[in-house]
Amino acid sequence: MSDEIKSSGNPPDAEPTATRSAAPLWIIVVTLLLIFFGGHYLDTHGGLFDARVYAPYNSPETLEAMQPQTGAAAVAAHGKKVYEAVCGVCHGVDGAGKPGQAPPLAGSEWVNAKGMNRLTHIPLEGLNGTIKVEGKDWSLNMAAMGAALPDADLAAVLTYVRTSWGNKSSEVTPEDVKKVRDAIGGHAQPMTGDEMMKMPE
Amino acid sequence: MKTGISVFLASFFALGASWFGMVYGSIHQLGSAKETVILQSSDNWPQQRTGEATLGLQVYRANGCAACHTEQVRQTGVADEISLTSLGKYSAGDFKDFMKSIMIAPELLNVSNNIIGGLETWDGKLPRTIYSGQDSAVVASLGDKLKAAGVKADARVVATGSDIWRGWGMRQSVAADYLYDVPVQLGSLRAGPDLSMIGVRAPDVNWQLKHLYAPRSVVSHSTMPAFRFLFHVRKIGAQPSPDALVLPKDFAPADGMEVVPTTEARELAAYLLSLKANQPLYEAPFTPAAAK
Repeated sequence: MSDEIKSSGNPPDAEPTATRSAAPLWIIVVTLLLIFFGGHYLDTHGGLFDARVYAPYNSPETLEAMQPQTGAAAVAAHGKKVYEAVCGVCHGVDGAGKPGQAPPLAGSEWVNAKGMNRLTHIPLEGLNGTIKVEGKDWSLNMAAMGAALPDADLAAVLTYVRTSWGNKSSEVTPEDVKKVRDAIGGHAQPMTGDEMMKMPE
Repeated sequence: MKTGISVFLASFFALGASWFGMVYGSIHQLGSAKETVILQSSDNWPQQRTGEATLGLQVYRANGCAACHTEQVRQTGVADEISLTSLGKYSAGDFKDFMKSIMIAPELLNVSNNIIGGLETWDGKLPRTIYSGQDSAVVASLGDKLKAAGVKADARVVATGSDIWRGWGMRQSVAADYLYDVPVQLGSLRAGPDLSMIGVRAPDVNWQLKHLYAPRSVVSHSTMPAFRFLFHVRKIGAQPSPDALVLPKDFAPADGMEVVPTTEARELAAYLLSLKANQPLYEAPFTPAAAK
C-alpha cells in the first residue's frame, strides 16, 4: 500500500518508481473493524431495507407492533396473548397439541363445530376421560383452565382458536360465553367425552 | 503506467459501489412506490391534486417558497399512551389508591414510580394520560386491570418529536406523501413553519389569500414577505368584485380600490390547501382521533 520512493541505484535524473510493500497490520484491523461496525449498524438501523420502515422504527416487526388496533384485530391480538399464556403450554403456540397429553386444535372438529356450546364448556368445566379428535382417541385430564378468565378474555381466546392455524369458523362473543357460564352456574365439574356428545353443539 | 489496470479497477469499484448504493438502491427501494392505504379507512393516500393545485406547485416553486418553508415533518419516537376517560365507581382519591394496589404486578414495577408520581398532582380532571412509553406489556397489563375494575381508558399510539408538538404534523413525512409532487419541494430551512399539513391547519382559502397579500394582516408576528405582485390592486368598476379580499383597515387599499387575486395566487392557494399530510399510514402509524 504505502509507496516508497526509490532513487538509489538510478541515475540522478531518472523517474522515481513505486514499489510494493506489505500493508501494515493496523490498517487491515481497522478496516475489518469498520466493516463489522457498518454491518452491525445496518442490522440495527436499516429496517432490512424495507421501503416502509422509517426511523424511529428499526425493523418491520417493531413497525408492525406499533400499529394501532381496533375491533377484530384488537380481539385477535388479545386472544393470541391470552392463548399463549394459558393454553399454549399444552396445546402449543401453533395449535398442534402435544402427543399423549393435549389434542390438536388446528383442524379439530371440536373447535370448528358449527355451534360454540361444547367448545365453550371445555375450558369452563374441564374434561376427563376419553374423547375422539380427528379420528384418534385421547385420554384426557384437562382442568377448567378458562373458569377464572373474564368473559371477554375467554371469548377472545375461543375466537382466536377458531380463526387461526387454518381454522375458519365463526367468532365467539362475550355474550355467548356468558350464556354458557350462566347455564353451568355453580356446579361446574370435569365432563367426559360421552357427556359432551349429549350436549347440543 | 505500470499500475494502470489496478488504478482503473480501484476507481471503477469505488464509483460503481457508490452508484449501486445511492442510485440503484434508491430506485430499487422506492422507484415503484404506489399509493398507500390510510389506516382504519378504505381510502388511498395520497390523492391526485386538482389541476389548479398542480399548477400551484409550479407557482410555489417559482416564488421560492421552499427557501423558507419545509414540507417534511420529523418524528423522533413513538409512544403507547393510556388515557383515562371515565373512572367508573372510583373517586379520584380512591382511584389513586387503586392504582397503588395494582402496581405490585411484576411488569409494572419499573413504571410504578412514574405513574404514581404523575397522579400525585392530578386534580381528577379527565381525560388524563397516565402512561406514555414503548412497553406494550405495560399497556396491555394496565389496560386489562383498568378494564376489570370498570375504569374506562383509551389506548392510543402517538408520534412524538418537536415537530409533532408544534402541531406541524400528526406523524413524520414518508415517501408516499410526495408521490404526486414534481418536483418535490422538501425545503431545508425553516424561516417559516412547516407546510406539510397547512391545508388542515388553515383550511380557509380567503385566509390563505389574505396571508399571501399581507401576511401581517392575519398573523401579527409573521416575518413573511408580502407577495403583492400575485394580486391586482385596481379601481372598483361598476360593481365591486366578489373575489376582492376583505382586509383589515391597516392593510386595505385606498378608497375606491380593491385587491383581486390573480390566477397564480388562486393556484398557489389551491396548492397550499391540498397539503394535508395528517393521515395515519402503515409506515407512520398513530391512532386517529375518534370520529365525532
